[in-house]
Amino acid sequence: MPRESLIGRMYRKVFGYLASRFPPTPWSDLTRRTVETVQRQVPRSHAEKYELKTIWYWYPLYCLGGISFVAFITLTITGILLGFYYIPDGTIEYTFNQEVTSRAYQSMQFIMNDIPFGFMIRGMHHWGAHIMIAAVFLHMMRVYFTGAYKKPRELNWLLGAVLMIITLLFGYSGYVLPANDLSRAAATIGINMTKAAPGPAWLGQFATMLLFGEPDPTGFYIIRMYWLHVFVLPLVGILLMIAHMALVWIQGVAEPH
Amino acid sequence: MQIEAVREGVFEGKPGFPIQYGPERTDHQPGIPFWPHEVYRDLVIVFILVAIIFFMSALWTPIVGPSANPAVQPFSVPDWYLLFSWGLLKIADLFPEGRIPDGLGGTINVDAAFWGDVLSLIPILPMFLIPFIDRGRETRPAKAPIRSAAGMYMIAFVFFASVYATNDRIIATWSFVHDDMLKWFFIVPPILVGIASYVGIRRLGFRDMYWWLVVSVGAAFTLVTTVAIQVFLLGPWGADGIDPVTRLGHLFGNASGQPLFWFVLIVIVYTGILFFATALLRERKAKGIVMIASLATFFLVAGLVKFFADTNPTGNLLALRVLAYHGNWFVALPLFALITFYVGTRTPYSTYEYLLNECYQCGKCHTVCPVTKVEDDALGGLNLVYNTFKKQHDGVPLWTCLACDACSAVCPLDIKYSDYILEERSKAMAPKTAADRGRHAG
Repeated sequence: MPRESLIGRMYRKVFGYLASRFPPTPWSDLTRRTVETVQRQVPRSHAEKYELKTIWYWYPLYCLGGISFVAFITLTITGILLGFYYIPDGTIEYTFNQEVTSRAYQSMQFIMNDIPFGFMIRGMHHWGAHIMIAAVFLHMMRVYFTGAYKKPRELNWLLGAVLMIITLLFGYSGYVLPANDLSRAAATIGINMTKAAPGPAWLGQFATMLLFGEPDPTGFYIIRMYWLHVFVLPLVGILLMIAHMALVWIQGVAEPH
Repeated sequence: MQIEAVREGVFEGKPGFPIQYGPERTDHQPGIPFWPHEVYRDLVIVFILVAIIFFMSALWTPIVGPSANPAVQPFSVPDWYLLFSWGLLKIADLFPEGRIPDGLGGTINVDAAFWGDVLSLIPILPMFLIPFIDRGRETRPAKAPIRSAAGMYMIAFVFFASVYATNDRIIATWSFVHDDMLKWFFIVPPILVGIASYVGIRRLGFRDMYWWLVVSVGAAFTLVTTVAIQVFLLGPWGADGIDPVTRLGHLFGNASGQPLFWFVLIVIVYTGILFFATALLRERKAKGIVMIASLATFFLVAGLVKFFADTNPTGNLLALRVLAYHGNWFVALPLFALITFYVGTRTPYSTYEYLLNECYQCGKCHTVCPVTKVEDDALGGLNLVYNTFKKQHDGVPLWTCLACDACSAVCPLDIKYSDYILEERSKAMAPKTAADRGRHAG
């Protein structure tokens, strides 16, 4: 019997690896059938099928990814509303009484004090962010402790890890925006840590100029963080979230068992 | 036509493949309808979440605070989810600094900020490596003690790094806390949490615990004793700067050393009792002794604090300072010994849960079980593990089982049915507590 060629073996190895994780399934046909079915069925989970009552207290933990997604939608809506009034200009100005201020800070004061229910919108944005980050942390712990990152879901775990870092960056760039004392302190720490990025010196300098636009926090960093917060991170984040949830749909939820 | 083709492919009942006993397969139960069941279930969660966010923003308005001011050095704590990074940045100055060549002609400036960046990778880098390191098939946390303990270690590490980030606030609030003690938070408590989790999770799997407990509690006892000797003879007192000669005078003559001596002695004796109870006594007696010793120690320490606060306030304060300075040893280790002892000897509340509920009704156990071949009640229709797990049997397997382990030998999921049977029998025959009025005494 002739031995298989090297190319053939490599081909089988690579495509075998991929096919065991992403089996060739006619997704477009299945989607069309699902859409055209009148009575759609959500398949029962393993735990429901075998009535494994003993781990019922784990069920809420399987909702944490969904909770962070709902919190993200809340943040999107309230963020759009805040965007109507927020001015991303952190340049230091002085009032007639020689008080320090900036247009970003003034717009924050306007949102909090003058706009009807502006403080509620900002409050929901603030607390929604805290809840989303907490939910993402807990979601990661649940996936870790139930071993849901194992084959065939390695890629989805990596996507989730990137998404968690994006969530943290969302949080950081978000609380830099109000141009208050906390914002300045956070920007100082962030600029110093970015400057000291492990690697050659020019790398840290370049990253600092790219992310903050200045080597010392004078106020220009606000517009960079704003663009990250409202364009770059949402774009990358939403694309990755779609991929994350599509993979959950394709590979199925890792069952508690 | 299709059905017949499927039946052709089923091996059950053909030569060499015994008939499947037990309840009918339930794999093909329909799911729940997307509309309205699933939609309503999801909407409940969405509404609750939005309501929580809404009420939080109504009750706790996030204040904007003063404007950013270049003239004022800001003193602010970042949000809680970035505290761990800040804590790691704060201990970064412990590491060597300097310049190293980057191989491209330039140099890399190794300073505190550099180490802060590198240390912040400690929680983040393993995250990307986990799926390629841990490649086993076990998913249950209770069945994978090493993975679970490593996770608990990491959670504790991030938590205590976050606590350390607020070190100046802590010291401003409690003046007896010393920064050196807080620095140990990065090493000691996470390791203790990891070991205690590992021991507790092994216990959930009904595995033998003796050596784990003896080594853990014994190590705690040894460490406490070593640190006590070091404190009395060699080591630092904390921030008070007393020289060794005066220190020995405190210990043996001066009254202001008395409270410290008694407190450290109590810690050593308590940890020692735990160690010897673990190593020498039978489990039930050890539990009783440890409970009595813990209560006695608690009241003794509380009483002594009150007594010394009245009679010897200087010595009391000194003792408090030194104990707090060595808090990672004199406070954390006895607690660790107690918690490890508790999680290592407690009876898991349900043997069903950890021993049987992996069963997926293959029925192999019934096929090989010798009892079911002679016992009328068990003939036909009995799926040994599954029916026991579902509490569907009438007690026949419990009292007729030979514990021959034939079922475990064929079980594809390694369920130890005879372990479960022996556990249940011993539970049924064990002397009960006073609550059932001695009916089962003996």
